[in-house]
Amino acid sequence: MRKFVKGNPDLCIGCRTCMIGCVVEHEGRRIFEIDPDGYDFNPRLHMVKTAKISVPVQCKHCENPACMAACPVNCIKVINDAVVIDTDSCIGCKSCVQACPFGAIDMVSKIGTQQADGSMRVVANKCDLCVGTGNGPACVRVCPTSALTLVDEEKLKEVVCDKRVATANAAKVFADAKEVE
Amino acid sequence: MTNKYSCYVLADPNKCTGCKACELACFAEHNKSNNGVGYTVGTVTIPVTPKLYLTKTKAYCMPIQCRHCEDAPCLNACQKHAIYRENSQVIVDQEKCIGCKDCVLACPFGAIAILPIGEKGKLKLQKDREVVKVASKCDLCKDIEGGPACVRVCPNDALELVDANADIEAKNIKTAEGLYVSRI
Amino acid sequence: MGVHEIEDAKLIFNFGYNGADSHPIVQRRIVRAKQKGATIICADPRVTEAARIADVHLQLKGGTNIALVNAMCNVIYNEGLVDQHFIDTMSVDYDAFVEIIKKYTPEYAETICKVPAELIRKAARMYAKAPSAMILYGMGVCQFGQAVDVVKALGSLALMTGNYGKPASGIGPVRGQNNVQGACDMGALPNNYPGYQNVTNPDVQAKFEKAWGVKLSNKVGVPLTHVPQRVLEEKDPAKKLHAYYIFGEDPAQSDPDVAEIRETLEKLDFVIVQDIFMNKTAEFADVILPSTSWNEHDGVYSCCDRGFQRIRKVVEPPSTVKTDWEIICEISTAMGYKMKYKNTEEIWNELIDLCPNFAGATYEKIEKYGCIQWPCRSKDMNDKGTVFLHNGKFATADGKGKFYTAEWRPPQELENEEYPLSFSTVREVGHYSVRTMTGNCRMLRNLEDEPGWIQMNPADCEKLHIKHGDLVKVMNKRGWCITRCNATERVAKGATYMTYQWWIGCCNELTIGSNLDPVSNTPEYKYCNCRVEKIDDQAAAWDYVNNEYKDLRSRMGIKMIGEEA
Repeated sequence: MRKFVKGNPDLCIGCRTCMIGCVVEHEGRRIFEIDPDGYDFNPRLHMVKTAKISVPVQCKHCENPACMAACPVNCIKVINDAVVIDTDSCIGCKSCVQACPFGAIDMVSKIGTQQADGSMRVVANKCDLCVGTGNGPACVRVCPTSALTLVDEEKLKEVVCDKRVATANAAKVFADAKEVE
Repeated sequence: MTNKYSCYVLADPNKCTGCKACELACFAEHNKSNNGVGYTVGTVTIPVTPKLYLTKTKAYCMPIQCRHCEDAPCLNACQKHAIYRENSQVIVDQEKCIGCKDCVLACPFGAIAILPIGEKGKLKLQKDREVVKVASKCDLCKDIEGGPACVRVCPNDALELVDANADIEAKNIKTAEGLYVSRI
Repeated sequence: MGVHEIEDAKLIFNFGYNGADSHPIVQRRIVRAKQKGATIICADPRVTEAARIADVHLQLKGGTNIALVNAMCNVIYNEGLVDQHFIDTMSVDYDAFVEIIKKYTPEYAETICKVPAELIRKAARMYAKAPSAMILYGMGVCQFGQAVDVVKALGSLALMTGNYGKPASGIGPVRGQNNVQGACDMGALPNNYPGYQNVTNPDVQAKFEKAWGVKLSNKVGVPLTHVPQRVLEEKDPAKKLHAYYIFGEDPAQSDPDVAEIRETLEKLDFVIVQDIFMNKTAEFADVILPSTSWNEHDGVYSCCDRGFQRIRKVVEPPSTVKTDWEIICEISTAMGYKMKYKNTEEIWNELIDLCPNFAGATYEKIEKYGCIQWPCRSKDMNDKGTVFLHNGKFATADGKGKFYTAEWRPPQELENEEYPLSFSTVREVGHYSVRTMTGNCRMLRNLEDEPGWIQMNPADCEKLHIKHGDLVKVMNKRGWCITRCNATERVAKGATYMTYQWWIGCCNELTIGSNLDPVSNTPEYKYCNCRVEKIDDQAAAWDYVNNEYKDLRSRMGIKMIGEEA
């Protein structure tokens, strides 16, 4: 099963440290040395604030990704169990943006790359679980209130298993009561 | 006639022995037509994927399955609208499901699992050859003759189809009788 | 109370305090308290992050704080939820207090605060019945013409329920800036020497004269917010201000009614600005003294819970920059009073020996324990300071807590036909205060930049035919600015909010400088009126914003990479 990062609105305080952590992780330390306008500030998760909820929204790394199915140039791939966009091959058609039911993909300009007419390339952008960095998702690490969790197969099993046991315990109480009747 | 409330199967942990007959029957019934499971020995060519899940605690065991909630958290969580209602029951559209796992986390009972599905005796694949995995949960054997297979096969009669509609009616009548007896 | 105690609170009454935006690290403790089962009551006109996770959100109308507090006291009194033993043994003036709150029934308060009476009752019962309850308040209480009254009323709410002198209780001001407590502790107030020792007290005066070997004045100075009046209106030449030495402050950005501040700065004969980067006030300076920033020098900060913490130099400053204390020493010496210290520890030792409440807070102890909360009176290593005050005895002359509340006074400038919306300044997470310290942080600049936002209810936006993200003109009789519309359900209809750090979207063009709290002299940043206007030519408005910003930066000599200076 694929892993994904899940935000908890009960813990999130809307501070957006996750967004900054995401950009720093993907740009590397050079971000503090280069021209402030010479890098991509494209966080791969987005803080959503409604009247009742504050939480960052990002890719769910679906088992059968709608984005991957919709991509006409096959530039969305599964790498190390993460659904990843190859932005070098992306043609910017927005099919994946349309297909994703979570709004987890946005379109961003890619500094330093140009189209034939000289304008900047615009490509799809989404969470890649920080694959290849070896540190795990930066957003999870930097969150000051630990509002983000990396849900892997084990974690999901643990959550579901706890619920099944609780359900069984409740059913036992019910069955015992019925026997008394 | 459509039901006012959905029905669901509930197990009795005081009767269940943990034999898994329900899981196997569930898998067999749901994969008969698509994957040719069940007609002869050796017909199972895909992993066994039930829609109810035997759970063992220290003291007892029972299968856990969907309660077909009236305000279903799984249905409310699904952004893809792949979970819908049919005759009051909560059903997963496995064609639409993208395997995002929101429903798994939303369900308070642990009644949903993400499992592969078969097609013509083989595991269904995506275009990149990855296995298709979808939300799998009890559909009350909606298109299967005889109703829920798990209830039918349980050797200990530990499973019961709970029909709140009939249950409420029966209880109402009993209560009315009680009120008649206790009238003043 | 100590900030760390928040996590152990059974109930937190969060009043006019937005931790998530002002102090995320304090909000983290509130979130943890909630996870540990604490009940949270939040009084705030907006749906803040604290309001969002609160068990009860009292979404009161701005400028009605004391009516709400009085009504909660009224419920607690009428329903017999008071701690009578505590009142009898530990307090004075209860009867006079009760006389005032009697009038503030929840139904009467509802007409003022627009909070349903039943909700006020629910919150009051929750507060009174909690085994221990902690009040946290912030600028939503302090930045009103009626501010100190509300603080005292909140203090009385805690008093009538016996919520003092025990862990995770009491009333905590979560102050606006990280070291504003330190500024006050060190005597940066017009009426105090360091350690809250009054300048009018002859014994204190004699002590400091002896220590410093110089004659000192016994006259109370001028509060910051009285400066414009002392410059622009004062007729008596002896009282008129002529020079203004400003450090670590940007009044041309942060003070209310900045048009008046600009006039003041222009009229002054001599202005010195000492800061780490250029800011709007420095544009008016005759002399600019560049000083080191927080990671380029040693020092002591006091947290809002009276906790002294050391800060240490981690970066070597440029050779042309001096620390604040070195600059002060050199100026003093040049003016004829020879002032010389080797390091901050020497200054600190002199200071704590002159302040009985700080006497025990040595560098050694702060180093060892991480933080020392004053009062800490003995240098003995076993005196680790005081986590919470008023343990068995209040810090008053008779040792008793004094009940106090007042009648509600409305804010000075209310909505009217011409300016139909209310206007308040707020904070947003990321940029700190006026942005002098954080404006150059590229990451924060990427998250938010000029010209900022005005938070408005979507219904108000619809009425004005403006959409989320549109540039709009915000104005009242004092001034105007251009900013972007943030349509959000988190603010009530008829109310608007702006953060105060933007140079172009400068909300203090509108705020009111004339309604000061009579005790604290804090201005009414949290209430005035305004009108929001749709801008038809959005492209021209963006050009205006960009050009103004560019002009300002070039006047300040700020050079972007790739730009000619």
